[in-house]
Amino acid sequence: MTDFLTDWGLTLVTFAPLLGALIMMTVPAGKTHTHRLVALFASLAALVVGALLLVDFNYGDAGILQYVVDRSWIDVINSRYILGIDGISLPLLALTLVVVPLCVVYSWDHIPHPGNPKAFLSLILILETGMIGTFVAQDLILFFVFFEVVLLPMFFMIGVWGGENRRYASIKFFLFTLFGSALMLLSFLALYFLSSDPITGDPLRTFDMRVLSDVAGAGILGVTQVWIFAGMFIGFGVKVPMFPFHTWLPDAHTEAPTVGSVILAAVLLKLGTYGFVRIAVPMLPEGAEVWMPWIGLLAVIGIIYGALGCLAQTDMKRLIAFSSVAHMGFVMLGVATLTDFGVNAAIFGMVAHGIITGMLFFLAGSVKERYHTLEIKRLGGLLVQAPRMGWLLGFVSMASLGLPGLAGFWGEFPAILSAYSPADGLPVGVFRVYMVVAAVGTVLAAGYLLWLLQRTAMGSPKPEFADNDEIVDVTPTEWIAWLPLLIGIVLFGVMPGLIFRVTDPAVLTVLTEFLG
Amino acid sequence: MSELSASWYLAVSAALFAIGFTGLLVRRNPLIMFMCIELMLNAVNVAFVAFGAGLNDVGGQVAVFFVLVVAATEVVIGLALVVALSRFKTGATADDVSLLKG
Amino acid sequence: MIDLLAFARPPIDWHAAAPELTLLACGALLTLVDIVWLERAKAVSATLASFSLLAAMVPVVTLAVDGTDRAMFGGAYTVDDFSLVMKAVFLLTAYVVVLLSTDYIAKGDFWESEYYQMLLSAVLGMLVMTSARDLVTIFIALELLSIPAYLMATWHKVDLRSNEAGLKYYLMGVFASAVLLYGMSLLYGVSGSTMLSDINATISNSQAEGLLAVVVLGLIFVVVGFGFKVSAFPFHMWAPDAYEGAPTPVTAFLSVASKAAGFVALLSLVFVGFWDRSDVYQPLLWLLSAASMTGGNLMALRQTNAVRMLAYSGVAQAGYMLAPLAVAGESSATADDALSSVVTYLAIYAAMNLGAFAVIIAVARRTSSAEIDSYKGLFRYAPVLTVAMTVFLMALAGIPPFGGWFAKFEIVLALLSPGTAWGVVLGGVVGLNSVIALYYYARIASYMWVEAPPDNVQSSSPIKVPASVSAALILTGLVTLAFGIVPQWVGHFTDVSLL
Repeated sequence: MTDFLTDWGLTLVTFAPLLGALIMMTVPAGKTHTHRLVALFASLAALVVGALLLVDFNYGDAGILQYVVDRSWIDVINSRYILGIDGISLPLLALTLVVVPLCVVYSWDHIPHPGNPKAFLSLILILETGMIGTFVAQDLILFFVFFEVVLLPMFFMIGVWGGENRRYASIKFFLFTLFGSALMLLSFLALYFLSSDPITGDPLRTFDMRVLSDVAGAGILGVTQVWIFAGMFIGFGVKVPMFPFHTWLPDAHTEAPTVGSVILAAVLLKLGTYGFVRIAVPMLPEGAEVWMPWIGLLAVIGIIYGALGCLAQTDMKRLIAFSSVAHMGFVMLGVATLTDFGVNAAIFGMVAHGIITGMLFFLAGSVKERYHTLEIKRLGGLLVQAPRMGWLLGFVSMASLGLPGLAGFWGEFPAILSAYSPADGLPVGVFRVYMVVAAVGTVLAAGYLLWLLQRTAMGSPKPEFADNDEIVDVTPTEWIAWLPLLIGIVLFGVMPGLIFRVTDPAVLTVLTEFLG
Repeated sequence: MSELSASWYLAVSAALFAIGFTGLLVRRNPLIMFMCIELMLNAVNVAFVAFGAGLNDVGGQVAVFFVLVVAATEVVIGLALVVALSRFKTGATADDVSLLKG
Repeated sequence: MIDLLAFARPPIDWHAAAPELTLLACGALLTLVDIVWLERAKAVSATLASFSLLAAMVPVVTLAVDGTDRAMFGGAYTVDDFSLVMKAVFLLTAYVVVLLSTDYIAKGDFWESEYYQMLLSAVLGMLVMTSARDLVTIFIALELLSIPAYLMATWHKVDLRSNEAGLKYYLMGVFASAVLLYGMSLLYGVSGSTMLSDINATISNSQAEGLLAVVVLGLIFVVVGFGFKVSAFPFHMWAPDAYEGAPTPVTAFLSVASKAAGFVALLSLVFVGFWDRSDVYQPLLWLLSAASMTGGNLMALRQTNAVRMLAYSGVAQAGYMLAPLAVAGESSATADDALSSVVTYLAIYAAMNLGAFAVIIAVARRTSSAEIDSYKGLFRYAPVLTVAMTVFLMALAGIPPFGGWFAKFEIVLALLSPGTAWGVVLGGVVGLNSVIALYYYARIASYMWVEAPPDNVQSSSPIKVPASVSAALILTGLVTLAFGIVPQWVGHFTDVSLL
């Protein structure tokens, strides 16, 4: 059994959802129930295999890659099919594996207009394969392919099942991310051609991420590293999204269907930050050192800008989208410090943001379904009309603003703290300013979330919705879909060590160049 | 009478080619345009023959035969196209056929 | 007195010439059947044509299995890995075109037997082109493939637009041949031979003889001549008109096979004939490539007709394929990379572009139009065709996991491999253009998926796709997917060398 897991586990986890999508394509569109079952089964199958991998994972050695598969793939360009997970991939993999089945469950009776569960659910499954593949790929080209596989399903999800402005939002999303990944690919190729063996000086000509991380940019001049890093910065930065590349995100989130927003917030944004931690920093340490103060600057601009943006929004989903920009700012600030502490906080922040913001988007979707609007000024009195949902909104908002004891806290607080003493070689004074600004950002976050809560949950219902039968409390399907996330928020809030214990050894490996 | 050197032949060839080239660009009657193309092809023939003679190589002359045959074929096809077109419109010029643009 | 008996026929390697001879024999047979059976020949001509193409595939495979390079007529006619791969691409492309044509030509009251005869002669020209390593042979091959193509573009005789397409294509094509020939005559004059290998040997040290200007002029004329054939910007103006007016299967053939034939000629010219004169051809091709990509994409943005859009996208794709040639002369390793990348691109481009045309043909059966607006809401009434079109469009845009990404990837890899500033900049241009191109491909995709169908289309019943078009769709779709997911399958075959 263990042998089988070692050899096939990751491949199975990655492609089980895709297999499900292929099966669904052979089933006629009319058989809605079969489609739901296949989709649920495929995503659960991936979850089960993933859970087995998690159980079998050697946590003592979380710093090194496990379940490594290394097969030939495209020999003509020296690219191989290499998969593997370590302590950085693992939490994100788990997050993806949990979120997708929940989305399938939520879609059980919530297929957005214009319907067609077959297409909708198979797109979710294809998305899942792309996301999992990105987290487990250990070859740059394989990583790139999975990274791009995600684009198309998301494009259609927004474009077909989205709101009024869906065409604009979907094409904007597509163009922004493709622009980023074109530059990212050029950077990958530059790495391929320029990396050389640190001892012999021979060109390596490999896309193997393990090797490239080990040599840590040997043979590439500092100036060149800065340029290559710039390409990756744009590629990953668009995806995160970092200020000033963030403008696609509010549009995409506002127009996307609920499940699309959840997946986008919970997992897709993490592909960018994961890329920074996994690829850009370890492979180009000198480039990273030059760029990090600037990344830190953009991160804190994102924190403040996102928060101020939230305060100016009239639409609940758009508000949550802007809060994502702010939260991802904290994550990037953690990465920018290049310290063990900061990067761990960043990875925790990714998971926490995934759970919390995913949950917020679920709630927003359910509110929209009941009120048919997300305009904050038309909402109100959720606590009166649907008390459980109102309390949930309050609880998740608290988690989102970083209340100690809930998951959000462990992403933000250590990230801010880590900026107090960034890695050697980074300007300490500058980062301390960032720290102060980011701290102000948390206050603003409290401000906009409480404001949101006050306007939507408190008070009495507006007359237009006062006697509306459609407004019911949380349904059983919703409970099933949400409960795991709510448990996660509490669990990781009380026991952050669950994640930190796994990530820390891997982060130490990634940061070898900076920790001396 | 002095011998004409190869470069004179080449100058003639270049001039013929230039005339054909210009004619093709400025004239709009398909028949005249064919004639201009013929002129260009014959300029090529002159050049091939002149080079072949200058280099004392038979390859140039051989090439000319191929060009002649192909030129004949092309004219046949071209005239067929003009005939087909003139069924729609007599005295058509290249400017008259302009349904397709963008 | 010349002793006629002393003339000895140059040795002919019958195995090497077998693909061409098979096609020639089958073409003759097709003509014969037409003459003897008259009307009854119509029914079998498509079948016969597709069998001819498959029959010609057999010797290509046996030659590939045999694996030795063969040369005839003093090297003017060569059979090597490069030519075999391209022969296979041409034969399979033509096979798909026959599949696309079968129903279209039969329904349209066209002249069926003659149509397939023309198609086979054009393919014969393409097969000759892959092996031609001599100026005159290249010229003959070019005419052999172009002249039938002029006629095929005009095949819809009763439609004025088809006539216009044919005439425009013809005038530009013949003009290009004349320019090309003039360049060839200059090169012949400088080198004293029409053999490409001799030309390379002489023009590489022609500086001393003061003939540089003639060499440069000859090279420019030849490259420009083929620039028309591959529809590179600014020599592309015939393409959109000819594509729109010609019958759609013919357009598919022109945009894939005819363009590829131009590239084959350019490749053998650059790698065998001019390789040592990289100082001349590299800047020229750099400009041509950058202009084609940018110009083609920018003009494709404002098209309202899917066929015209694909024509301009084809201009841009030609630009991508020209790009590696702009760095090919840096070293022999780079040259091999560049050649392999262009051949890979041609193979993948054939699959994805033919697929896109197959969908256009299928959809036009319902909407009778190739206007982009008529694709609105296609997903509602033809989901399979929509998915297929999306796959092909995204492959053309270079989005993984569909074939096109690997094609573009190899191009960029070849561009960056010598590490020169010119190569890196052109790589950046390729990247930027991929983003521009995505916009117009994604626009069609979002019309199909997002919009509601126009009122005049009855969207209740599914579109009936003829079996042959379905077969073409499945074939091209599978190849497009396979090449994207396991690029090694195509990469293995296209890893060729001409040096």
